[in-house]
Amino acid sequence: MKRLLKTMGLAITAVAALQSAPLHAEEFPARGLEFVAGYGPGGGHDTMLRAMAKILKEEGIVEVPINVVNKPGGSSAVAMGYLNARAGDGHYLMSITSSHITTPLASNIGLDHTNFTPIARLGIDPELLVVNAAGPYKSIKDLLKADKVLNVGGTATGSIEHIVSIQFQKKTGKEINFVPFQGDGDVVAALLSNQLDFIVTNPGTARDFIEAGNFKALAISTDERIDALPDVPTFKEQDIDITLSLYRGVTAPADISEEAKAYLTEKMTELSESEAWKTGYMEPNAVVGDFITGEEFEAYLAENEKLYRETLTELGILK
Amino acid sequence: MLDALTHLAGGFAEVLTVYNIVLIFFAGMIGTVVGALPGLGPSAGIALMLPLTFGMPHASGLCLLTGVYMGTMYGGRITSILINTPGDAPAIVTAMEGYPMMRRGQGGLALGLSAVSSFVGGFFGLLVLIFFAPVVSSYAIYLGAPEYFLLMLLGLSTIILLAGEDLVKALLMACVGVLVSTFGSDYISGHIRFAFTPELIEGIDFVAIIIGLYGLGEVFYNLEQRTRLDLGRPSFNLREYIPPASTLKESSGATLRGSVIGTVIGILPGAGATVATFLEYALERRISRKPEEFGNGAIAGLAGPEASNNASVPGSLIPLITLGIPGSGGTAIMLGALIMFGLQPGPLLMIKSGDVVWAMIAGLVLANVFLLFSNVLLIPVFVNLLRSVQGHLASVVVALCVVGAFSLAYNSFNIWVALVFGILGYLMKKCDYPTGPFILAVVLAPLAENYFRQSIMLGQGDWSIFVDRPISLGIIVAMVATGILGLVTKRFIKSRKPAARA
Repeated sequence: MKRLLKTMGLAITAVAALQSAPLHAEEFPARGLEFVAGYGPGGGHDTMLRAMAKILKEEGIVEVPINVVNKPGGSSAVAMGYLNARAGDGHYLMSITSSHITTPLASNIGLDHTNFTPIARLGIDPELLVVNAAGPYKSIKDLLKADKVLNVGGTATGSIEHIVSIQFQKKTGKEINFVPFQGDGDVVAALLSNQLDFIVTNPGTARDFIEAGNFKALAISTDERIDALPDVPTFKEQDIDITLSLYRGVTAPADISEEAKAYLTEKMTELSESEAWKTGYMEPNAVVGDFITGEEFEAYLAENEKLYRETLTELGILK
Repeated sequence: MLDALTHLAGGFAEVLTVYNIVLIFFAGMIGTVVGALPGLGPSAGIALMLPLTFGMPHASGLCLLTGVYMGTMYGGRITSILINTPGDAPAIVTAMEGYPMMRRGQGGLALGLSAVSSFVGGFFGLLVLIFFAPVVSSYAIYLGAPEYFLLMLLGLSTIILLAGEDLVKALLMACVGVLVSTFGSDYISGHIRFAFTPELIEGIDFVAIIIGLYGLGEVFYNLEQRTRLDLGRPSFNLREYIPPASTLKESSGATLRGSVIGTVIGILPGAGATVATFLEYALERRISRKPEEFGNGAIAGLAGPEASNNASVPGSLIPLITLGIPGSGGTAIMLGALIMFGLQPGPLLMIKSGDVVWAMIAGLVLANVFLLFSNVLLIPVFVNLLRSVQGHLASVVVALCVVGAFSLAYNSFNIWVALVFGILGYLMKKCDYPTGPFILAVVLAPLAENYFRQSIMLGQGDWSIFVDRPISLGIIVAMVATGILGLVTKRFIKSRKPAARA
């Protein structure tokens, strides 16, 4: 038993030794930049930041070294805590998507988007309404005429797909039954095997199946049709007022200097205009370029939070 | 038939790179050593290697894990034969015949012969895997949430088979597993459960759990027991490792029977390698013309069970990759690994990620060949390797566990998780609670829960969705049959099994 305790003690000491100390600096950029991904290597955040770092260096937009670090855990909560501990230091940039809004809403982490300095929204992931091409529905009108409650698939309750589905029910009056799935792959499989009437998903997931003729997209959630899918009409064109997309952006710690903020905004603008970024990241990932910065992005985030808060409260997830 | 071979050729094309070949070779070696070390079995081997696979291509990662899995089946026999200490549960029977041969001065022959029958068993199991798996998976597209739910339930019902001596203890552990699996966000309701700290929003990391349970837990237990390995200095003549043709001929019947039994038992969920070896041993003893030789170094009693434990590895991979049902502790961890790689285990795995699966199968074929040669020719190396780690085993394993847990999310949180489960694992082992049902529940319970809720939602509240669909009705029937079979075989094994604990 004594030896047992000794080994346990050894393990505890090893844990303590692995904690690291933070760094500080004066001028901007006084040293390299650090890009923080709130998810593990290979995930969406990580891929975007690594592509970004590579292009910023190769195109000569940023001179100082860029280091991409992963701070996975807690649906980006761990990374938010990490960035918050570096308030005032503009050398950090964190990738954000919907979890930047939903994680603070759903759990008690004491931080939200206002604890950071939003830099830029780089693009949006629109949502598509997709049916099985072999099924009975050829248009939105067919769906509305169907003589039953429609089974709709999407990822997770409270996800953007769920919110689009609820909006669809509200705006058209057609009753739907939303079935949440764990990931895009499961949703696609369920539509392929005709267990669902339609799904709400993003172009990255559905594009291959649409091109192969398995699926047909009946509507898209943008203001105007997108270049990648020119034949897909918007909800608006069909008199259903839904414009709602997932965004991909970057945010910096709170209270950074004006100089740092201007620098980061300028670099992100240059990046979004570069051809390498468009062909190297945006197109392969089916992201639609809709670039906004600073206050405009902040207002967008606030609006986004309001929508999530309202919908999640209606669903009984938030109290 | 031809289709399977085309796929397999594709798998080989992916696997035959210098990186993968070296990786598979070392995976087999590591597996052999882990298998040979008493206390560390297939589950621990796979658990300890899991963190290394992050950042590897999926096919390479899976080849590493399956290579280690297969290697442990070769390794367990080494210490069984040399010092009468089975390296893991499937090698218990090997000690019963192998050690008497060793004392007779036939240790080299016992090692060589058991390596050859291990190879044949593994090879037979692989053939069945290659030709049988695609047949099962080709029907996969017709399955929906109700069928998946029932499959998960079928998987969970194998707890009866994994239970060991005491069914109540097994069910209790399964309940703890269900509790552990409920941590974190639930995508169906959108609620987050038990997230006392933000790190828990995504649930408790599965790898941290198994590192604690099988790595740290075993170390704590062995320290308390003061299990010491002492290999001494056995000496051999290299020529003895290559068994003569007459011995091979004498053992061929037993090897083939062992291969068939191992594969079949491997496919049956919940049974696994240990059960296969005991059944095969009992069979050989019954049909032998010289039953009095058993216990005194019978060739058939050594070759048959060794073939069967290796055959059970590819066998147990069949339900894993075609249906997402793990048949053993080792495959339960493999299931977790698949989920972690983002490969959705289940009937669609062969369809959606066929290239990775076939590469893994090709890797396993390669691993089996490597293992045959390394286990015949490199026996002196293994013996020396074992001798050099035997005194520092605890520190080596603790170091691997701490680094492995840290690497999961690059923070110390998971090390604490591993420590908590290490203590739990220690207590479970000390008080004789089985870990299999716990792991199975952790992996399968959330899947079963979510598929159940999806089914009811798809049926818009109507339960008849489970019996309206012919496949789901068929699974219900199969499930009832497994339950009955489980109780019957348990009774059978209990009456057969010599004093050893599986």
